Amino acid sequence: MTEIFATPPGLTAYLLLGAMLFSIGLYGVLTRKNTLAILVAIELMANAVNINLVAFSRFSGSIQGQSFALFSIALTVAEVVIGLAIVVLMYRSHKSIEADAPTALRG
Amino acid sequence: MAWLAFSIIALVILNSGLNVVKSTDLVHTVFWLALTLLGTAALFVHLDAEFLAAVQVLLYTGGVVTLMLFGVMLTRRIDGVRILHESGDKGRALACSLAVFGAIATAIYRSKQTAHAVAMDLPDTEILGQYFLQEMVLPFELLSLLLLAAMVGAIALARKKDA
Amino acid sequence: MLTAVLFPIMLPLACFFLLALCWPLRHNGKLAGAVSSAVAIVSCLSAVRLLNMVVTGAVDAQEGYRHTVPWLVANGETIAEVGVHLDGISATMLVVITLVAACVQVYSLGYLADEPPEHLGRYFTWHSLFIFAMGGLVIAPNLLQAFMCWELVGLCSYLLIGYYWTKPEAGHAAVKAFWVTKFADMGLLAGLCLLYATTGGFEWTSTLATSTATTIAALIFMGVMGKSAQVPLHVWLPNAMEGPTPVSALLHAATMVAAGVFLVVRAFPIFLQAPDILLAMTWIGAITAFVAACTAVVQDDIKKVLAYSTCSQLGFMVAALGTGSILGGYFHLTTHAFFKALLFLGAGAAIHAVHSNSIHDMGGLLKKTPISAVMFIIGAAALAGIPGLSGFFSKDIILEEMLHGGHMVPLGLLLVSAALTAFYMTRVVVIAFFGKPSEAVEHAHGAPIVMGAPMAALTLLAVAGGYMSGQLGDLWGGPIAFHLSPVGITATGLGLSAVVYGVLLYGKGINGPSSAGLRDFILSGPVDRFWTATWRRGLLPTAKSIAWTDRYVVDGAVNWFGWAAIKGSEALRRVQTGKAQDYAVAVIVGVLFFVLYGAVGG
Repeated sequence: MTEIFATPPGLTAYLLLGAMLFSIGLYGVLTRKNTLAILVAIELMANAVNINLVAFSRFSGSIQGQSFALFSIALTVAEVVIGLAIVVLMYRSHKSIEADAPTALRG
Repeated sequence: MAWLAFSIIALVILNSGLNVVKSTDLVHTVFWLALTLLGTAALFVHLDAEFLAAVQVLLYTGGVVTLMLFGVMLTRRIDGVRILHESGDKGRALACSLAVFGAIATAIYRSKQTAHAVAMDLPDTEILGQYFLQEMVLPFELLSLLLLAAMVGAIALARKKDA
Repeated sequence: MLTAVLFPIMLPLACFFLLALCWPLRHNGKLAGAVSSAVAIVSCLSAVRLLNMVVTGAVDAQEGYRHTVPWLVANGETIAEVGVHLDGISATMLVVITLVAACVQVYSLGYLADEPPEHLGRYFTWHSLFIFAMGGLVIAPNLLQAFMCWELVGLCSYLLIGYYWTKPEAGHAAVKAFWVTKFADMGLLAGLCLLYATTGGFEWTSTLATSTATTIAALIFMGVMGKSAQVPLHVWLPNAMEGPTPVSALLHAATMVAAGVFLVVRAFPIFLQAPDILLAMTWIGAITAFVAACTAVVQDDIKKVLAYSTCSQLGFMVAALGTGSILGGYFHLTTHAFFKALLFLGAGAAIHAVHSNSIHDMGGLLKKTPISAVMFIIGAAALAGIPGLSGFFSKDIILEEMLHGGHMVPLGLLLVSAALTAFYMTRVVVIAFFGKPSEAVEHAHGAPIVMGAPMAALTLLAVAGGYMSGQLGDLWGGPIAFHLSPVGITATGLGLSAVVYGVLLYGKGINGPSSAGLRDFILSGPVDRFWTATWRRGLLPTAKSIAWTDRYVVDGAVNWFGWAAIKGSEALRRVQTGKAQDYAVAVIVGVLFFVLYGAVGG
């Protein structure tokens, strides 16, 4: 058992951490009723992706992972901006920012 | 030694993440998010990606969280009451997230694990800089265009329409 | 040769089309009648010419002249043919048909002179069609063409019975005739199908196994029972008297009802292979003769008497055929056609004189309308079997054949029926033509010549027909040897005593045995009531349950699919909740599915 702790954490550990964080973020996306809270949970998921990318970069010696993570951060920022604009629009048309408020697609 | 650092950072990240999804107060949620993002930054430092850690703190913890707080504060005032967040259909969401985790974990364990930590000769800032301005010049420029488009788009969407 | 054979039937068909399409001609009733009658006379003359060809031997009487063309062809094989077949039997019948038709049409010009012209035109149109249909039946080369013309003849009967379409009884009578004969025709059609199935054709010269022949003959005879009014399918014939009297004379006395007998004669090779059916025919014919004769005794309507009399005589014919020889039955068919048509036309003259069908409204007509009365009496005598007249000969031959075949009980029934025939005809003659006249008779007038001439022609044939047995026998393939025999003498004796008794009972007024109960029973129409009950309690509930099954089970099953589709889609549309998180779950599930598929299958 203690041999695991002899060497530094391997790639698996970081990947599992990323996976766990991703699942937690997914749970938040599917559960929360407030749209802003959903955006926050999406942030978690994006973050988990970044962890994975950087871990891969560390363990392969290539900088590509980190560069990808950088792009990901920039894109996530842009996405949050647009998401907030959508929340504003949503409030304007439905007078509420509950995720259940828009029912136009109901069949 | 490395394990200790990793364990602490991991615990911080995971605990903050759980609190993000559990928290009932929206402001608390955002703050827990901030803590998660800081933890991630620490992890980046642990992984020898200092530049990225700096970017993470600046952009995420600084910019995104600020944006979120603005949004939360504005909508709190609009509604007038403390927003309570009931969560719906937890069982289904739990099943989905566990399934996804299981799939990813299975994929992780199935693949060959022969990677060792490889150190890079230069600090990552320098390498990133060279990489961006040589091989990745085009995506870099396009990224700036994309940010411009996002800004313009957000303003266009959210501005007050003069009816 | 082919044109010569086709001419007697195609000319009336052309006349039918002419009258049907050229409505100005048809709406001028008398002119239409003149055209149609002329056509009928020409048709009769050409039929006589054909008969002459057979008599002189230009056409062989047994082999006949035959010409067919393929009609239904499938897979290169001919399924059915149409054409002509002229031999002794069909030539004789053709002459009978066209002769009686011509007489009846000329007679109608006088009898129906007071009818509205358009209706009269319609009447003659159907008459022309009838000559074509009946002619087509008798010269048919196979049973399929015979069947088609059979149905066409039934149609003409329906149209002509229902001529007075403003009278509800006429309409009901026409429908009843059609219904009963159609019901019987189901058997005929089944028999034809079975014949085709076993032999691949519709020829009557097929050789069959006994059981098959029995089935086919039984089915064909079912159709004959309908058309030729055998008990219990005879119920339509009395009602058919709603049609004009000339129609009754032509269709329901001389020709159409004889079509059934003719069909048996034609298909006799099949019947000969089914001795059980022949035996059944003797019994059914004898029972019909007896039951109908009993019913005729209590009728007051002169036409009904003659209708039941026709039914009875058809029973004689069928019984004669059942003995295994066509000669007696077919000879009786020929003589019966003449004297029964004469009787109907004479009855028509009497009805025309007093404007009533009931014999009690007549009386003493011999003084008022002597010529037609005498002709009627001659016809009645022929029917009763008075020696020297045609009916005597033909009936005697039938009785001989019955005796020869050893069918004693049917023979007994026929003897009693013959006596009853003489009796009821005497009753009619005495009441209608002798005795005290009723008020209506005071204004009676004789029939015009256009009605009298056809009656005269038929009277001649009713008298002379009996002496032609020799030549006719040669045409039909066997000697019709008439000789005086014990059974003939017995029958004649019974008949003459019946005549005397009738004269005493109705003329002199002696009191006979009271028969009110029996009379009421017969007049209540027991067979009619049986069929009505069968319809009400049997067929109608079955039809209703089948209709229910169709509406609720069959349609219900189909409608269920529609209902299921609607309910299913209503349930399925609840998948579309409109909530983004539900769709996100769907995406996750989809992705997991693909991951699983890739991991496991791939």
